[in-house]
Amino acid sequence: MRDAFLRFVRHKPALVGLVLLVMVVIAAAVASLLYPGDPFRIVGKPFQPPLTDFPLGTDMLGRDLAAAVFYGARTTLLIGFAATLIATVVGVTIGGLAGYFGGRADALLMRLTELFQTIPFFLFAILLVAVLGSSIGKIIFAIAVVSWPPMARLVRGEFMAMRNREFVQACVSMGMGHARIIVVHILPNTLSAIVVTGSLMIATAILIESGLSFLGLSDPNVMSWGYIIGSGRSVLRTAWWICAVPGVAILLTVMAINLVGDGLNDALNPRLRQL
Amino acid sequence: MTLQRLTRNFLALAGALGLTAIAPVLAQGTPQKGGTLVMVVQPEPPTLAAYQSTAGPVGQVATKVYEGLLEYSFDLKPMPSLAQSWTVAPDGKTVTFKLTPNVKFHDGKPFTSADVQFTVMDVLKKVHPRGVNTFRAVTAVETPDPLTAIFKLSEPAPYMMMALSSYESPMLPKHVFGTGDIATHPNANRPVGTGPFKFVEWQKGQFMRLDRNPDYRKAGLPHLDRVVARFIADAGTRSAAMETQEAHIGGFNAVPPVDVKRLSGLPHIATTYKGYEMQAPIVQLDFNTTKPPFNDARVRQAVAYAIDRQFVIDNVWFGFGKPATGPISSNFKANGLYTDQVRNYNVKNGVEMANKLLDEAGKKRGADGVRFEIVHDVTPYGEEWRRFGEYVQQQLAKIGIKATLRYEDVPAWLRRVYTNYDFDLTNNWIQTLADPSIGMHRLYHSNTIKAGTVFVNNSRWTTKETDELMNKANVETDPKKRAALYHDLQKRIVDASPLVFVHELNFVTVYNKRVNNFPVSPLGLYSAMDTVWLAK
Repeated sequence: MRDAFLRFVRHKPALVGLVLLVMVVIAAAVASLLYPGDPFRIVGKPFQPPLTDFPLGTDMLGRDLAAAVFYGARTTLLIGFAATLIATVVGVTIGGLAGYFGGRADALLMRLTELFQTIPFFLFAILLVAVLGSSIGKIIFAIAVVSWPPMARLVRGEFMAMRNREFVQACVSMGMGHARIIVVHILPNTLSAIVVTGSLMIATAILIESGLSFLGLSDPNVMSWGYIIGSGRSVLRTAWWICAVPGVAILLTVMAINLVGDGLNDALNPRLRQL
Repeated sequence: MTLQRLTRNFLALAGALGLTAIAPVLAQGTPQKGGTLVMVVQPEPPTLAAYQSTAGPVGQVATKVYEGLLEYSFDLKPMPSLAQSWTVAPDGKTVTFKLTPNVKFHDGKPFTSADVQFTVMDVLKKVHPRGVNTFRAVTAVETPDPLTAIFKLSEPAPYMMMALSSYESPMLPKHVFGTGDIATHPNANRPVGTGPFKFVEWQKGQFMRLDRNPDYRKAGLPHLDRVVARFIADAGTRSAAMETQEAHIGGFNAVPPVDVKRLSGLPHIATTYKGYEMQAPIVQLDFNTTKPPFNDARVRQAVAYAIDRQFVIDNVWFGFGKPATGPISSNFKANGLYTDQVRNYNVKNGVEMANKLLDEAGKKRGADGVRFEIVHDVTPYGEEWRRFGEYVQQQLAKIGIKATLRYEDVPAWLRRVYTNYDFDLTNNWIQTLADPSIGMHRLYHSNTIKAGTVFVNNSRWTTKETDELMNKANVETDPKKRAALYHDLQKRIVDASPLVFVHELNFVTVYNKRVNNFPVSPLGLYSAMDTVWLAK
């Protein structure tokens, strides 16, 4: 573990990503301290460019974009982590069972996974939100539903490889139960792959959420970055900053998560252990 | 009517009304023949059956093919069209139309009073959504000779004379539509009319092509060889089409308001608000007046006070509107029906007034400053409605009402608001059309509380007195007395505030300066455009 940590820290881009990510987390944490009250509040003249009365300017209704970005960080992180957590649990369970038991169970679970994979994931997310409604819980659910299949396939592959390894065979011959073998012996050995994929899934989840908000499918009572971009889109040519500010926020956050993901991959990859 | 006289009439009309926006265009001189006018129509019409669909875009195309008995001037007076003259009997129960002679349908058959009878009695009265109401008093159309149609009414119907345009009541050929089921007629999308342009083809999702009718009843008209309606789904692309001169004209906010400002700066682009006088759309907030908290007039008034109308117009609709004072659009100033002598909610200290009213109504603020919570539905017709909803949410917060926003798709919203009445407050807009009797009564009369019928009385506020006033106005033929009834009605409705009257929506038509003679009537894009010409 110490080795892994050192490898991560030596990975410069990962460190940059981590710093950025921590900044986003801090922004989310202090949003209500810096900007108490509703981020949708109309506080000034509409269409003020950045660095006038407000550091990041105001939008078409005179709402403070800085407040919106801070509160948006909250929503974005919440959705990113919550959706990823759900998708990971579902993906690992389905992939793990399929990979471990193989045969019929595998065929059944993988056909199910493929069924989900054949539907373009973004369109599927739009459909789910359109049908279910657009509260934040339902958006998280929709993103989770479209995100788990790659995780399931990955975990299945890992489990299949592990299933026939000597240490698993040894467990079986010792009469250990399936649940114990899966949870105690195989899962920890696939954890690095899960963590790396999961970290990248957060980035994807954030992008899906932004895309949904951009299309006007966000929770109307929750401020998010995608929402700001979506509402600013129609005035892009007259008030560029409304889209640019949250756009840069999404860019940096997603990049940070990807960098951290890469760093984790390098740190946790056992093949790189000798370097 | 010769071409010169026609043009002169339009010039005189334009001058009289001070149409500065189009005056220089009209002054450009002799019409030039030929050319193809490309209209941007948004969205694509679902059908061309103008006799049974009132969907906006249908009219933009169908009115070039079909004609009505009458046209209208900018002061909302009837003008000759397929009827060259008309007389209303003193008791108001008989209306005689003398039809224009030598009018032929596009298939060469003559237009006669039998077609009028067929259209009104068998089509409009039965399948036209508003015609059912407009012609409800018509008991028969008599045809003593091919050029005379006599409408027999059970009671006077002054509003009917405002609903005989090609947009509202298109005249159909009996020999085509008389056979078969009118609701699913094969000619619905292959219209045959008497208008200046003949239908040629419709490439779904792309364009519709109409060609010049050489046998048009007005000699020498139309000037254009062809009208093409193009359907472009993306707003940015529509603006770009106007910018690059690929398209010549687009109305009903086909070019979104935010782009209008930019486009109108271009040397070849002109814009106008004219040509929507018979639509008169009003942006409003509908209350559910049958349950708390909005069953209390004071609470409704408080919300009405809390909205800064100019803010909404300037920041949500980018300046395209004007504050509304009541249920009747100020367009009806022209014929005296409108009055602004009503309770004025558009005041500087509105939020203060609102808080006072809510205190009086016994809606005390809780520890968190909230008096009560509601859900505010947002009509799913586009971005501006969301912005408007967000604005209302903020204003309501100032007066202690915590509003949660809800967005649904069109069917769900319609069902909630017009069938299940499962709402507190929703934003909305209603076209009040060419006469209050047609466009406005439906929102206030007790007989229009019909679950399942859309765009009628969903606030379900009624009083005996206002019902009575509307009943009288329906049959009052003396314009002065009718105006007095409407003035009284406006006062009462505005006082009770079953809706918040926010602003009169200004649609804007964006057009290329090569387009001349537009608009020549309050129907704007819903008119025949026979006199429109394109400068080379």
